[in-house]
Amino acid sequence: MASEHMARAYDDELQKLNNTVAEMGGLAESQLGTAIEAVVTRDVDLAARVVEGDPKVDQLERDLDNLAIRLLALRQPVARDLREVFAALKIGSDLERIGDYAANVAKRSIALSQAPPVRPVYALPRMAHFAQLLIKDVLDAYVQHDSDKAYSVWMRDAELDEMYSSLFRELLTYMMEDPRSIGPCTHLLFMAKNIERIGDHATNIAEDLYYLVNGTPLDQLRPKGDVSSLEVVTTGARE
Amino acid sequence: MSPASLRQSMPPPYRPATRPDPSLQQKVLIRDIDFYYGNFKALKNITMPLHDKRVTAFIGPSGCGKSTLIRVLNRIYELYPGHRATGEVIIDGENTLAPGVDLNLLRAKIGMVFQKPTPFPMSIYDNIAFGIRLYHRLPRAELDDWVESALRRAALWDEVKDKLRQSGLGLSGGQQQRLCIARAVAVQPQILLLDEPASALDPLSTQRIEELIAELKADYCIAIVTHNMQQAARSSDYTAFMYLGELVEFDETELIFTHPKQKHTEDYITGRFG
Repeated sequence: MASEHMARAYDDELQKLNNTVAEMGGLAESQLGTAIEAVVTRDVDLAARVVEGDPKVDQLERDLDNLAIRLLALRQPVARDLREVFAALKIGSDLERIGDYAANVAKRSIALSQAPPVRPVYALPRMAHFAQLLIKDVLDAYVQHDSDKAYSVWMRDAELDEMYSSLFRELLTYMMEDPRSIGPCTHLLFMAKNIERIGDHATNIAEDLYYLVNGTPLDQLRPKGDVSSLEVVTTGARE
Repeated sequence: MSPASLRQSMPPPYRPATRPDPSLQQKVLIRDIDFYYGNFKALKNITMPLHDKRVTAFIGPSGCGKSTLIRVLNRIYELYPGHRATGEVIIDGENTLAPGVDLNLLRAKIGMVFQKPTPFPMSIYDNIAFGIRLYHRLPRAELDDWVESALRRAALWDEVKDKLRQSGLGLSGGQQQRLCIARAVAVQPQILLLDEPASALDPLSTQRIEELIAELKADYCIAIVTHNMQQAARSSDYTAFMYLGELVEFDETELIFTHPKQKHTEDYITGRFG
């Protein structure tokens, strides 16, 4: 962290901004963890708690916006301070999306628990834990202002993409084999997509952090592991 | 592959798209300038360009040498005994610090405006005409045109056209400062030096001066010394940060205020200067 401002209150305000981002991140991460637990344990109450918890993430984002607007108006930050405020604003909206995706996973888990269990549900937690790890690592990187760590999160998202692609194929196979599984598998497919998107938001945060620390954007091409959008589905029917 | 080694294979650092044309004309080259107040060395080996039709801001704490540097450009320091500069200031290929340079012509070429408005104790009209008469013998009608044109350039004409015979000292602070700018541009200089031109003015007059700077840069090479960093950020294309007589960093203003290269610069502009 850079040396202190002559105006100590300025440091306090920037610190508060950092703390709010960290708090929001911690909450978004735990929302995802709880949502997955609800999927695995088919616990409707737990899922409902996640859905009810989402407004708290939204509220933190509004708090963050207010802090940032106030800093911009009253301190007119420049250089690193400006990048600090800019990054916090962008990271805030990424974390808000992550919270939304976690809430959506929880909502779907309520519907999923009404149907008989399907096997691919067990692949979902592995994916979710990996996404959680990406969030945790990128938040640690944020707190430490460690751009190397941010860079490694940015690179590792490809692995999450691959998990999604393989789960996508697995779900397709299930649905083709047993049309009764189409309902639950569709929910699982959306859940997996949500988690894959969470990974993308973690990489956005990594990019924002990289800019914050280095002052230059991370503008190289990121490796992508999700090939599901190129997938052609055939049911095996012949002409 | 480690993140560090991956980064080495990254593309070169980002440069803003608004980067000015590299063929930009260099109006002034300040080269190896040292400056002494008696035995005190106030400037240490300063080398930097001033681009034509661009505004260069000088920032830095009091006593860092920024005003001293712009006073070297028009050799106004020579009015004081014991003040001495070495090195070169090359304007249009000529070293203006060399002996034998006509100081009157040099100062006609380089207009200067100071922190405190300094109108002459004479009419508004004569404030402007005074300088013109020093260099040109013009028929009355033509002189009138020159005066009007200078006052228009300084965005003051509409406010004073009906009271040209009144004293310049009767104007408001902001108007007096614009009168001084009009006086400077009246003799058709090529370079304008502004030493804290707005620091004694209220925010509205300050904005008017900044707007004026933005208009004037289409025709002049402008250097502005300011303690107001927002003003430097708003009105300049290039910024030089000076500290203890040294030029710490000189770059495009946009880069200085988003991503300065020197920690010293960053500490100063972000208010971390102990």
